[in-house]
Amino acid sequence: MENEEKKEISRRDFMKITIGAIGGLIGLGFGIPAIAYVVSPALGKSQAQQWIQLGATSKIELGKPTLFKVTITRQTGWIVNQEELAVYVLSEDGRDYVAMSNVCTHLGCRIRWIAGQDQYVCPCHNGIFDKQGNVVSGPPPRPLDRYETKVENDQLFILGG
Amino acid sequence: MLTRFANWLDERIGWRPVWDAIFLRKMPKVNWFYTLGSATLFVAVNQAITGILLTIYYVPTPDHAYDSVQYITTQVTGGWLIRGLHHWGASVMVVLVVLHMLRVIFYGAYKYPREVTWLTGVVLLLLVIGFGFTGYLLPWDQKSYWATTVGTRIAGVVPWVGDWILRIMRGGEDLSAVTLARFFGAHVWVLPATLMLLVGIHLYLVIRNGISEIPKKEGGKQ
Repeated sequence: MENEEKKEISRRDFMKITIGAIGGLIGLGFGIPAIAYVVSPALGKSQAQQWIQLGATSKIELGKPTLFKVTITRQTGWIVNQEELAVYVLSEDGRDYVAMSNVCTHLGCRIRWIAGQDQYVCPCHNGIFDKQGNVVSGPPPRPLDRYETKVENDQLFILGG
Repeated sequence: MLTRFANWLDERIGWRPVWDAIFLRKMPKVNWFYTLGSATLFVAVNQAITGILLTIYYVPTPDHAYDSVQYITTQVTGGWLIRGLHHWGASVMVVLVVLHMLRVIFYGAYKYPREVTWLTGVVLLLLVIGFGFTGYLLPWDQKSYWATTVGTRIAGVVPWVGDWILRIMRGGEDLSAVTLARFFGAHVWVLPATLMLLVGIHLYLVIRNGISEIPKKEGGKQ
């Protein structure tokens, strides 16, 4: 039975199927690595989080957001960059600290603390945040991003990368 | 369904005669040496695909070239494979092209009416060597730097115009960022464009004139 069935496949059809199959395998052999190669940097997890030292807690005035600037090194692709990280730190009681990114949650401009208004203002599209970083008015979709904090030997650290 | 679509398309663009001309053409009885040209074409396609992929990360400037190649090889998923295929494919390409040429010489396949096919083949050989020479510099490591220093110096030995050729190749007195950029430009734009044009002519002529028979032994019966 099997032999008879095999005979029904003509030589030409056999070649067509074989060539098609080999071609398909070669296509997959190129296609799969190519896709992995193109998308891999996009899928790579972002920089490992680490504790970044901001400075002495004594610099922070109670109830008033204080700006800390630190330089961090960040690797993108094969390039290692020095980047400045600016963080507003607020403490009402000198024990709990709130560290907020100065990056506006709307489109990434840098916000600024305006002491007279008691608000953060984003100059790009008039986004306004209150002292705690909540949106008061304007286009920002969510409050300012916060960092996890810890204090060691009177030094303030944030978790970031 | 597929047949219907094929017919629909054939009625509008007439692909079937083209397909038949390429794949159902008349052949003399040949041997495996006649596959060397197709093998070369296959590796050329490999070089094109992997080469295009490499340009996604490669940056042709002295401060980034080496690091971006290292990034491809060690950081990008499958980068070692893509670069490896391009690297080894380059050598295979030269070997295949030479073997293909030897087959054509030994079988006398360059004779009437296939002289133009041969001549385009000669230019294609030079292009492949040009690809090898320009591509060798791109990783921008010690080996490529000194190989290109020596290579351009060799070109400089030509009487009368040598120094001029050397300066044109290097884009100045010394090997520099200018050299790297122009080798890259030649490698990914000038040479591929020329190669595609000539491969097109070469293949058209192969199909138009048909391929040559294996020559018969002298004194054998006609």
